[in-house]
Amino acid sequence: MAISLQKGGNISLSKSAPGMKKMIVGLGWDVRSTDGDGFDLDASAFLLNNTGKVQNDAGFIFYNQAKSADGSVQHTGDNRTGDGEGDDESIVIELDKVPAEIEKISVCVTIHEAEARRQNFGMVSSAYVRCVNAEGNAEVARFDLSEDASVETAMIFGEIYRHNGEWKFKAIGQGFAGGLGPLAKNFGVNV
Amino acid sequence: MAISLQKGGNISLSKTTPNLKNVLIGLGWDARSTSGDDFDLDASVFMVGSNGKVRSDSDFVFYNQLRSTCGSVEHTGDNRTGDGDGDDESVKVALDKVPSAIERLVVAVTIHDAQSRNQNFGMVRGAYIRLVNIDTNDEIVRFDLTEDASVETAMIFGEVYRYNTEWKFRAVGQGYAGGLHALATAHGINVQ
Repeated sequence: MAISLQKGGNISLSKSAPGMKKMIVGLGWDVRSTDGDGFDLDASAFLLNNTGKVQNDAGFIFYNQAKSADGSVQHTGDNRTGDGEGDDESIVIELDKVPAEIEKISVCVTIHEAEARRQNFGMVSSAYVRCVNAEGNAEVARFDLSEDASVETAMIFGEIYRHNGEWKFKAIGQGFAGGLGPLAKNFGVNV
Repeated sequence: MAISLQKGGNISLSKTTPNLKNVLIGLGWDARSTSGDDFDLDASVFMVGSNGKVRSDSDFVFYNQLRSTCGSVEHTGDNRTGDGDGDDESVKVALDKVPSAIERLVVAVTIHDAQSRNQNFGMVRGAYIRLVNIDTNDEIVRFDLTEDASVETAMIFGEVYRYNTEWKFRAVGQGYAGGLHALATAHGINVQ
């Protein structure tokens, strides 16, 4: 059963899912039934060093840069409408291949062109983001974006970080009204 | 004090108004000051289950079917011009009488004869939805439809929905250019 984390709460992945090698960050939402521009939610990951910044732009994994240089973090592809069952986008993180200098991986969700399309998470039905252990598909954590981030357009879902030799996950659930731009700058990516 | 919601925003009715039982959903708009056919906005409620559809046509409450079979949702009557102060149309909901199979009450507004009168929401001023606690007459929440929804003729103003053990309200503000027909079909009503 999934551990339901409150915002700010953390768990030890090494303890709750011993031996977990591969974690999937899944993002899902429903196709828009009303008129207007479709909802295009994007998952992304920032590979951060001990200063909380990316080492360079290669540390930003998103739809246009689907794989980190070392291959440890991989975006499985862009879904532009939310069509289909299950997770609509996902990012696969191979924990044991993450380079030692990466202290933290921040996983985020943004709405593509949110400002121009005047959209936010609360307008999207059944939007969620979750962490799953790839082996066995047990859910580790989940946020309901439509409820928890209703007026935001970019949200830091959570961070996977090293702590005393373990991998931990912290549920952040905090967002930026300005979307991907301010979010990426926050982590040192040149936008 | 009443809370004003942005489009997409939600609030917990159970938290802001503990023991809320009877809610009035009020809809208002300004009467037309320019020449031409009046704006006749109609409120309706779709009582939908977890699949987002009505169970049968009797779960659709509107000017021609003013009351749901279970009696929990009641439309107070048709206003054809938006004339007068306060809410122009309203729907009363007895939350504790809503059948447990109903997950959401989708509150929609359509423009009557929009096509033949060549009207849309972009032409209507001062449109809002608000929720009032009937037992105290206090306004709980309000959503002003400030955005130009120019091409739409049917809009979901908001929805009252169950979340865990609470009732919540969300400001939706999304619509259909296809009018009542498109709106009703999307919620599982058979339209002839």
